[in-house]
Amino acid sequence: MVVNEEALMWVEKYRPKTLTEVVGLKDIVESLQAFMRNPKAMPHLMFAGVPGTGKTTLALAIARTLYGANWKSFTLELNASDERGIDTVRDRIKDFSRYSRTGFGDVIPFALIILDECDQMTGPAQTALRRIMEVGSRTSRFILICNQSSKIIEPIQSRCAIFRFSRVDKQAMKQHLICLAEKEGYTLIPEAADRIVDFAEGDLRHAINALQTASAYKEGVIDEKTVSLVIGEASPSQVQKMIRKALYGDFMEARKTMYDIMGSFGFSGTEIIRQVQREIFKMSDLTAEQKADLSSIIGEYDYRITQGANSDIQLSALLAQFAKFGKGIEESYAETK
Amino acid sequence: MQKQNNLLWVEKYRPKKIDDITGNDEAKALFLEWLKNKRHTKKAVLLYGSPGVGKTTLVLAASRELGFSVIEMNASDTRSEKAINAVAKPATSYKALDNFTENAKASGNVLFLDEVDGIAGNEDRGGVNAILKVIEESLVPIIMAANDPDIEKLRPLKKVCLLVRFQQVRIPLIIALLQKICMLEHVSAEFEALERIAQNSKGDVRSAINDLQSLSEENHSLTLQDTMLLTSRNKDISMDETLKRYFSAQNIAETSTMLAFSSVDYDDFLLSVGDNLPKRYPDAFELAKAYDYVSQADMFRGRIGTENWHLLKYFYNALTKASAVNPQSYKPFPFITPPIRIITLFWTKSKRNTLDAICGKIGAQCHVSHKTAKHDFIPYIRAILQKKPKSPLVGWFKFTPEEVDFLSKMSRF
Repeated sequence: MVVNEEALMWVEKYRPKTLTEVVGLKDIVESLQAFMRNPKAMPHLMFAGVPGTGKTTLALAIARTLYGANWKSFTLELNASDERGIDTVRDRIKDFSRYSRTGFGDVIPFALIILDECDQMTGPAQTALRRIMEVGSRTSRFILICNQSSKIIEPIQSRCAIFRFSRVDKQAMKQHLICLAEKEGYTLIPEAADRIVDFAEGDLRHAINALQTASAYKEGVIDEKTVSLVIGEASPSQVQKMIRKALYGDFMEARKTMYDIMGSFGFSGTEIIRQVQREIFKMSDLTAEQKADLSSIIGEYDYRITQGANSDIQLSALLAQFAKFGKGIEESYAETK
Repeated sequence: MQKQNNLLWVEKYRPKKIDDITGNDEAKALFLEWLKNKRHTKKAVLLYGSPGVGKTTLVLAASRELGFSVIEMNASDTRSEKAINAVAKPATSYKALDNFTENAKASGNVLFLDEVDGIAGNEDRGGVNAILKVIEESLVPIIMAANDPDIEKLRPLKKVCLLVRFQQVRIPLIIALLQKICMLEHVSAEFEALERIAQNSKGDVRSAINDLQSLSEENHSLTLQDTMLLTSRNKDISMDETLKRYFSAQNIAETSTMLAFSSVDYDDFLLSVGDNLPKRYPDAFELAKAYDYVSQADMFRGRIGTENWHLLKYFYNALTKASAVNPQSYKPFPFITPPIRIITLFWTKSKRNTLDAICGKIGAQCHVSHKTAKHDFIPYIRAILQKKPKSPLVGWFKFTPEEVDFLSKMSRF
């Protein structure tokens, strides 16, 4: 395995450079290798799947395989969630797709455009992209990366060969983590590895980041205790606090925490409500029925945020529902007593 | 007379003669002197002052008395360079061709550009320059009116204009005017009520007449009690007052009447209602119910967007319901203003900017978006740096000392 010695985040340092080194994904890699043998016949590609499963890694590996060491000159890497407007598509992508690869006799007659997090692109931008893909297909190939292919408009999907990425296999991930720790001079206890794998829920990026954080906590042997500590540090606490305050009747404090999260961390209403949904299911002091009831309420307000104009008002309304729910539990408890 | 009944009183009683115009005698004199003088030192005049003090009225009345025909362009017409040239060029390039009309005193055209401070932005591109050019070439007097002459884009205009300032009309004058109208409209009004309307108008004659009409037209009487529905036209007071009446309302009908008279911005009002709701309803069940209505109102606001304004009534209806979940439980409380969100976002702006800069650096090194960097990297990097502040990661990401400081002091998400 070629190691990027300069990189200090392990996810970058041990990001596979060639197709064969990627963890899992045997079927996808085989099809891609077929394309690599005859690159001129390579279609536009779309990689769809949950985060941390190797989509970006494979795209970068393809770039390296096609162009060798100076792949960066022939590859435009854009993150659509940062630059998602129609202007980006018009200016940067269009120019690159037209003019980047005009030399005669090149082995690879096209330039590569990697568009990450495409499902964050606006509708008009996608429509503009569709046209560029068609016009520029002689001089460029696209690799579109997204979490949900359903958010990409049909005409774009039909122009791509679509590959679906599933969560990284638990056993493969565990092996990979132990092997990686060893390379860095640490011993990762199998039980600790299990803990990380459970926490990461199939997201290899989270797993490796957690491992690296654990290595900062302890020299030599990484055990379960260290891993628990890291997981505790990395899990959202503010959202937990907000939920608890609301359920236990302190609405004002809950709302203040909500504004804190929005203000200091710049989270959107949608991001917060999705986290609320996740955190509810981790709470040990609620019964399964209560969790299910709360989940329906959250679902309603998740929808309302998409309809409404002010997500802080919708979140406040959700917290008010939580406070009512908490009061209801309290009262029914008092009655049975 | 029958036909005139549907008229707005402001139009019906708009003075036809210069002498009938209430107040601002100095401005009137200055303007008339300019208009009568055939050899103007300045070809254009800019009348400025707050709304409803008689600028437009004076122009129309003076033109009528002195025999000018007014060619008017208002803010409601677009005033791009093209539009101005289309109307203003022909209007200003010949003199007094109207001599054959029955008006023997005809002294030609006068171009009147009302609300010139409304020339703005993209749609009216080149508007100010076009006006300057028209002034330069014009053979006829040009009159402009504006509320706020201190806007940057009007500065070139001010240089070539005679400036005439209009003061707010004095309260006693307004009261006298209102009394006259009441007499003509057969409204029996309490003096205190008229006084309140006049004071409330803050020197704006138009709004005073409008208020008088809206309060008294139906039953031809006006008591001080009726004027309680008036909200002051000053914005700051208005929000507090509106909130007070909103939260103390005894039923939905009362809230709905009150909101119809209020002039608060509905977006600000929505936020303020949300902010103050938990203080109004300390009870969790009532609060949840009220917030549900506010949430519905917000959804209607979202659906209105920038075009479906016909949905605004549903927005208000939903908001109205939140005011009367339980009228019995009302106790006065101090309001939270301005909106919490705006305050919070203001105070935390630099934090967000720092975080965003950090995410950008992570994104550049690790091929991820800002969003992914925030969710998947920040929690770990923060933990690492809090444990090992001198980690080589700092150099690799090119974090500045401030950014390292920010991360190591940062609390968990």
